[in-house]
Amino acid sequence: MSLFHRNSLARRFLHHRTALAGLVICTCVLLAVIVGPLILPYGPEDMDFMATLSPPSMAHPLGTDSFGRDVLVRVLNGGQVSLTISFLAIALATVVGGGMGLAAAYHGGWTDVILMRFADLLFAFPSFILALLLMVMFGFSTSNIIFAIALVYLPIFARIARNSTLLVRDEPFVQAARLMGRRPVAIMLTQILPNISAPLLVQASAGMAFAIILEAGLSFIGLGVQPPTPSLGGIMSDGREYFSRAPWVLTMSGLAISVALLGINLLGDGLRDLTDPRLRERN
Amino acid sequence: MKSMTTLSRRSLMAGTGALFGLAGLGISSRAALAQGTALRAAITGYGVLNTLDPARASLVPEFYVIWAIYNGLLKFDDQMQIVPDLAESYELRDNGSIEVRLREGVTFHDGSPLTSEDVKFSLERLLDEELASPNASKVAVVDHVEVIDELNLVIHATGPFAPLLTFLTNARTGTQILSKSAYEQLGPDGYSRNPVGTGPYKLTSWDTGTGLKLEAFEDYFEGAPALKTVEVPLIVEEASGVTALLGGQIHMTSTIPTSDVPDLMNNGNVQVLRQPGLNVRFISINLQKPPFDDVHFRRAVSMAFQREAMVQTVLFGEGAPLHGFFPPLLGDYYTPGENSVTSFDPEAAKAELARSRYAADEHPVEVITWGGGWWKRYAEIFVAQVNQVLGTRFTVGVTDSNAAFARQTTGDFVAGVWGWLGFIDPDEYVGDILHTDGWRNMGKYSNPEVDALLEQARAELDPQKRAALYHEVEAKAIEDMPVIPCFTSNIHNLLAANVQGFTQKPYANFGDQFMKVSIG
Amino acid sequence: MSQSDPVSGGSRSLPARERAGYRRLMLLGGKLLSALVLLLVGSLVVFLTIQAAPGSAALSVLGEQATPEAVAAFERRHGLDQPVLVQYLAWLGNALRGDFGVSLSIASGQQISSLMASKLPTTLFLGAYALVLAIAISLVLGIYAARHRGKTGDTVATSISVLGISMPDFWLSYVLIFFFGLSLGWFPTYGYVSPFVDLPGALHAGFLPALAIAAPMAAVFSRTLRAVLLETMTRPYVTAARSFGLKPRFVFVHFIFRNALIPYLTIIGLQIRYILGGVVVVERIFGIPGMGSFMVDGAFLRDLPVLLACTVTFLAIVVLVNTLTDALCSFLDPRRSR
Repeated sequence: MSLFHRNSLARRFLHHRTALAGLVICTCVLLAVIVGPLILPYGPEDMDFMATLSPPSMAHPLGTDSFGRDVLVRVLNGGQVSLTISFLAIALATVVGGGMGLAAAYHGGWTDVILMRFADLLFAFPSFILALLLMVMFGFSTSNIIFAIALVYLPIFARIARNSTLLVRDEPFVQAARLMGRRPVAIMLTQILPNISAPLLVQASAGMAFAIILEAGLSFIGLGVQPPTPSLGGIMSDGREYFSRAPWVLTMSGLAISVALLGINLLGDGLRDLTDPRLRERN
Repeated sequence: MKSMTTLSRRSLMAGTGALFGLAGLGISSRAALAQGTALRAAITGYGVLNTLDPARASLVPEFYVIWAIYNGLLKFDDQMQIVPDLAESYELRDNGSIEVRLREGVTFHDGSPLTSEDVKFSLERLLDEELASPNASKVAVVDHVEVIDELNLVIHATGPFAPLLTFLTNARTGTQILSKSAYEQLGPDGYSRNPVGTGPYKLTSWDTGTGLKLEAFEDYFEGAPALKTVEVPLIVEEASGVTALLGGQIHMTSTIPTSDVPDLMNNGNVQVLRQPGLNVRFISINLQKPPFDDVHFRRAVSMAFQREAMVQTVLFGEGAPLHGFFPPLLGDYYTPGENSVTSFDPEAAKAELARSRYAADEHPVEVITWGGGWWKRYAEIFVAQVNQVLGTRFTVGVTDSNAAFARQTTGDFVAGVWGWLGFIDPDEYVGDILHTDGWRNMGKYSNPEVDALLEQARAELDPQKRAALYHEVEAKAIEDMPVIPCFTSNIHNLLAANVQGFTQKPYANFGDQFMKVSIG
Repeated sequence: MSQSDPVSGGSRSLPARERAGYRRLMLLGGKLLSALVLLLVGSLVVFLTIQAAPGSAALSVLGEQATPEAVAAFERRHGLDQPVLVQYLAWLGNALRGDFGVSLSIASGQQISSLMASKLPTTLFLGAYALVLAIAISLVLGIYAARHRGKTGDTVATSISVLGISMPDFWLSYVLIFFFGLSLGWFPTYGYVSPFVDLPGALHAGFLPALAIAAPMAAVFSRTLRAVLLETMTRPYVTAARSFGLKPRFVFVHFIFRNALIPYLTIIGLQIRYILGGVVVVERIFGIPGMGSFMVDGAFLRDLPVLLACTVTFLAIVVLVNTLTDALCSFLDPRRSR
């Protein structure tokens, strides 16, 4: 049944303009950030003090930054870093948040109350400030950024998982499994999870875009990835400082981030459109 | 492509010129700048002032305003010579005590006359242990202040202390004179926000985080200031200060982002004031932790990076390489020329490293820095160069500035970018930093010979002999490499074309010039 | 916990009333209780976070002159040398009496309530401005896209809203400054004008920052609106209404839009935390003295009382808005009220 469903989804996907456009852009972005750094003649940390802040040219298509580093290479590498961070953060949020919501709905009672109040608490904080507090406490590092972003999005996934689980918790096939004496963990993983994964995945694709924006915002106020590792937000933050002298650094990295986000958002929109609308999150 | 970018840059500057009539800093958006009446002097790069009580003040922007509201006993003239201010005359005795005769007819903003009692109160208050003034060290040598009569007093010192005259000026000292009666009436917290000084301007309003407003003090002892109102907006983003000035919203700023300086210097609508500043930027290292507990390792690192490249990439050329502990503008105390252990020399650096008991990559080093601006780039360029030359495993550790400061003061660091600014006396640049007991000695450097020389220099009242002692201190200490000097930054003020009369001083003065400024 | 007992106890001690009224009261009491627990836990978490973080308010205040003696005196004066739990309980005791104390390092010695009195209206004004813009944009885009589903109009409207969400706020701010501020000269690019002093000026000066804040919200709103409208359009009662020969406009307004309003309002309600604290960067760029920067500065400068006051205010507003949204939704759709 699921195979047929997937087949039909794939076919509908290819006829959906938005989704297709998103897929094409995402593929191009992925190819660029993976292949680009391999074939370009500079490394992201190669400094050239003879060519600092040089405008776009044949040698440096997007110019260089204040250390004479090639902006194109840094944008591609930074894109790789930003995408990886966002992906890992959202993956973590999906797994942990989804698990929390699932457990809360399945067990109910105090488990439900405690887990969901915890999620509510996280959710009531402005995301930016929550991330900032975490970074201030634990220090700045790539893993902490991932952790912070994951924590920000965790409650969203918890809610979706909980709401979706509530819909299927008392379905006959779950009851049957329970009567057969299967362990709760097994029931959750084999019976419930497949039925709630679609809305989680749709939300995850939207979350990717927000995670990239959050990472960029954190980098922008100086809470980003440790240098010299580039990230899109970090490059933009640098570029903004000397914008009047070298406008290409901010402009080009800004355009790059917009293209990547455009692709992800279009893809997410398409997926959302294609999956059953009744599975969307409701509060 | 090239012409396009220059075009966009030019149109950016031209565009800003026409704009800013509307945005107001707490002011009605359509209120035009009334020519000749109100000076709008923005403090850029800072958003926080906590107090205007000199004894409690410590942040740069606090002093920017304090300089307009108060006077010290002494002051620096335009040539950076110490001259009397509230004092009419003074005499330094050999035992370090100072006889002071006050000017006659000076009144405070509240109308009360300045007397010796106010001076005694102001200076002795700094020593109050209960208050624990951050500026207490400036007058630590003062034993007590003796009031002879209304206008005559003696500042008794426990011994000769050369910096004392400097510390009695209206600079970043905290020794500005306040009104005893007003203070007793308002109490410490009330006084913090309602200062009563003798200066040319008095505070009329203070909107936290947004700005302050000053009004001319008509009874100022040097005559009433020409400009009757001064508004001091706080603009946290330095770049926003530039655009606000280009748009005619403000008349001057306290800083300029270094990357904007060349463009602005070519802009006929503004004046750029710049000169080497009184500040030092160095790499602070922990001498109690490997690998920096090895002098050869320290020296190797110091020779492994180009200070010139640092000035170019970090400050866009707006500074100068630093080869010792003193900034160049410190007159006789500065040793010109390069020093072999603080100059780029890859071969010598490697040779020095070979003599170290540590291999280059034996101990990874985190170089602490903060924020997203030039402090971050400073650490980045240092780490990249040293790693390239020596093969070390240094990394940049960005954190927030408060955490960086805390880690330095508690010794929880191996290395970090650091620096001090606005100090005027040589003792401030080496006394606390190199002396075993100095609280700025974050890396716990200790050399008895240097300690002895520092104490001797502190007590030497003859400037020539004192300078010789500091040269000796510097020559000795630099071989130990207690901190790694990097560069000194230029200071800048951006003024509208029609603003005259502001004299910039190397310690980055500000409010003290308001009364001399005119808007043409 | 103890301070929340009188609240629930109070509801129990009320004289007997109708069952429904009593149940509603219990529900309200429960909500109030969980809101108080939320505030309590939230403030405790923030408190412990800053305690665990390296740094001190003393270093922010004393800067270059932070001698160990001055630091120790500062911490003694503000009770920062007390055990952590004692400090928290002292804060809590005062906060329960409505006293958030004085700022440590943002405006040393100043009452936080008076600081808040100038920051909160700024944020609320800008937030409301942005919200109005976002709702206006999303109504146009969302409805247009839904009514032209699959056609070019849909693609254009959807693309615009996707574009809005594809730009980080600071990048969008710079683009707006560049085009509408510097190139066209239509709007000022820096500074805040209080609406209480000069309303037209405030609307003019606040337009670019409000738009920068509104853009991502507008994108979310219009995408939600479009999706919900599309879903509602396929409902049987809509088909039925159409088959009765009711005018399309009438059907759209009374059958489709009205029912789409609930999820739409819910999404809008969720944005309140973004408006309160997510717009720090925009505030910085445009020089707006709002709550977001206040709280971020509080964190950076280790001004714990400011941070705690902001936290409590944020959480209280979020809870309030959630409750209001719920109430509005159950007013629109009585079936939803339990």
